[in-house]
Amino acid sequence: MTQVLAARMGKITAEMEMVADREGLSVEFIRAGVASGKIVIPKNKLRKPVNACGIGQGLRIKVNALIGTSSERDRIAMEEKKLAVAEAAGCDALMDLSTGGDIDGMRKMTMAKAGVPLGSVPIYQAAIEAIEKHGAIVDMTAEDMFASVEKQAAEGIDFMAIHCALNFDVIRRLQASGRVTDVVSRGGAFLTGWMLHNQKENPLYQQFDRLLAILKEYDVTLSLGDSIRPGSTADSLDGAQLQGMIIAGELVARSQAAGVQVMVEGPGHVPMHHVESTMLLQKRLCNGAPYFILGTLATDVAPGYDHITSAIGGALAGAAGADFLCYVTPAEHLGLPTEEDVKDGVIAARIAAHAADLARGDKRALERDLQMARARVALDYDRQIGLSIDPPKWGDKKHHGQDHCCTCGKECAAQIAARYFGIS
Amino acid sequence: MTQLKKALEGEVTAEMRQVAQSEGVTAEFIREGVAAGTMVIPRNVRHSIANPVAIGTGLRTKVSASIGLHGGEAAIPEELAKITAAVDAGTNAIMDLSVSGDIDAMRRAALALSPVPVGTLPLYQALAEAGQKYGSTAKMKVEDLFAVIERHASDGVDFLAMHCGTTMDIVERAKKDGRIDPLVSYGGSHLIGWMIYNQAENPLYTNYDRVLEIARRYGATISLADGMRPGCLADSLDGPQVQELVVLGELVRRAREAGVQVMVKGPGHVPLNQLKATVTLQKSLCKGAPYFVFGPVVTDIAAGYDHISAAIGGAISAWAGAEFLCYVTASEHISLPDAHQVREGVMASRIAAHAADLARGLPGAAEWDLEISQARKVLDWKKQIELSIDPDRAGRLRKERSDDASEGCAMCGKYCAMKVVSEYLGTARQTC
Repeated sequence: MTQVLAARMGKITAEMEMVADREGLSVEFIRAGVASGKIVIPKNKLRKPVNACGIGQGLRIKVNALIGTSSERDRIAMEEKKLAVAEAAGCDALMDLSTGGDIDGMRKMTMAKAGVPLGSVPIYQAAIEAIEKHGAIVDMTAEDMFASVEKQAAEGIDFMAIHCALNFDVIRRLQASGRVTDVVSRGGAFLTGWMLHNQKENPLYQQFDRLLAILKEYDVTLSLGDSIRPGSTADSLDGAQLQGMIIAGELVARSQAAGVQVMVEGPGHVPMHHVESTMLLQKRLCNGAPYFILGTLATDVAPGYDHITSAIGGALAGAAGADFLCYVTPAEHLGLPTEEDVKDGVIAARIAAHAADLARGDKRALERDLQMARARVALDYDRQIGLSIDPPKWGDKKHHGQDHCCTCGKECAAQIAARYFGIS
Repeated sequence: MTQLKKALEGEVTAEMRQVAQSEGVTAEFIREGVAAGTMVIPRNVRHSIANPVAIGTGLRTKVSASIGLHGGEAAIPEELAKITAAVDAGTNAIMDLSVSGDIDAMRRAALALSPVPVGTLPLYQALAEAGQKYGSTAKMKVEDLFAVIERHASDGVDFLAMHCGTTMDIVERAKKDGRIDPLVSYGGSHLIGWMIYNQAENPLYTNYDRVLEIARRYGATISLADGMRPGCLADSLDGPQVQELVVLGELVRRAREAGVQVMVKGPGHVPLNQLKATVTLQKSLCKGAPYFVFGPVVTDIAAGYDHISAAIGGAISAWAGAEFLCYVTASEHISLPDAHQVREGVMASRIAAHAADLARGLPGAAEWDLEISQARKVLDWKKQIELSIDPDRAGRLRKERSDDASEGCAMCGKYCAMKVVSEYLGTARQTC
């Protein structure tokens, strides 16, 4: 039985209990959220126990990190280090997006090492294998796609990004709208190419019930891949994106009816004044399903700093209702991230998530900031370090030395003020 | 005569023409903004500035970087190197916030070096000198303070930051209201201590006309600093902060009446959901005077990454109407920044400023995004790097992260989405 079917029958699962405990909420709140589809707990039946992670309304905003080999960089050992770095930096979930070398071996490693829910994009492997098998991605068969989903589900993947919400309606809108950056989603690009070459509808859309049956069997959470996410601020909230969102909404309804946990992936490059509307539209069209967003990147012009453009967008989006932030690293748009980039990406996304939690009035988040403020007033550097988002970052620099001292003599004016306020 | 007085008399100054050109607006638009007090052009009559800037409504959001001597190991050459790093990174202004050492020499060197406006906080030097002269900063004489203000103005400082609105009323309210962190601002804290020790009202408030007279004489812009900026999220928009803002609004009016250009300094630590209200209040109480905000950082816990926290707060504040962002570096709350952190801090602020310009539909902002995205679409790497906010870093990262290996990048390698889709949509060149 899937988490959502259990929840609807009033049954409390071990995962719901773990999530309730970690969030400091009642397990009934979690159960009701899962039952209504507003919360998902990605956890494959066959996966070893991990830190269960609830994603959705009323919960702390979660952060996802991406690792994986590519055709240019296919060293599993390097990715294993990044996995460890991402978890140490505090990511709540991981996705293995491998497209190069030993993809099976890579997944086996991530599955063994990751202590958090693990996601994948099965179409990547299907597409890469199609090149070996048939000579080209576009010669991939529908059976290849489903076989890849089935195989990865049977291996224990907790959530899968699958680009079901792409169909010819969306492609026609795309062709009519004159986008600047067309399709920037890799999975979306593979399928768009496949559909146009074969002049056939997307099998993952057309045979959606078949897909749901596989996911249901293993309780894999469906993460509806966004094929049509904006790749430039100019493309945000255009007809093609909204057509994709409308179709995603239909598929959410069908997933929820089938008892399959579902969340929706989204933006991308979004100017700040579009963020709130984007979140509102998704929540409205997708029946309150959790929103898993990339970034959002608040401008196109900052390659090398896209963890920062994403922190800006992610914080705004989180405050407006996004539930799950996919990190963006400083290497985005330029190359494959290093370990340092992975760490910077996770921390930046966590800052955004926390800023949004604070804006949403999350009591535990507010309390942590208050404790930090008190530690600062007390000049208690050990507590400040402990309460920081990344304690090792302090290194050996413990003393700020600016707050209350300068080159004055014994009767320091700031000390007098401190005594006045009773804090010296 | 000040820029403001000339603007009010209908005169378009050379500086107005110069900034109009760099902003892509008419000189008359600038003159009107300066006359209305919704724009300032910080420029001391004794300081020649290669790149004058205007700050205010309808213009690009500007960025300021702070440097300065601080503590025993501080040295002028290192601080000058930070100015160079900040200017290279594209800062629009520099603040020299020296609190120790040879403050006069530092300031004069900064003024000579900087091609952008320079601001200072004269109270710091007055405190340091009182410490040396009387053995206590609390024993600073009012005359000493004004002598230092005069010295800064006559040296050519373009904008003077002064805590003129931190009155005894407000200090008492901070105590009564139980502010978590009443001593955030370095200058504000010492000034409060001085007021308590001497049982006297804030001399910058009681002698405000004298402050204005000095500023007017040298054409310096006043930056009304806030002694009650929130130092933690819990203190944001509390009684003392808002009351000080009310007083600052009164001081803005008096500055304008005296023909002195004025802007208002603000936050601090502000939760994301209070940013817009903060800016709206300032705009209302201070009658549209430019708002110069520090950060704001949107959480208290991001020590080591406060440039990112500040980019979030800065972007949203500037979108809401703040026109001038004071950078926060990654070393904030931990130590003093090195030149690398200065550069990174300026870049983070510039990203925030541009994201805001884009969101508020400033002419030209969307065009920059469009150009780089078009280059991205056709995998024109040379152009992408050139159009990046920091071409050096973008170029270096591309080299290191992709070995310049493919026409795509090492993230997607052969399976670049741009390439796959272009083949079938026929929307771009097919070479990659």
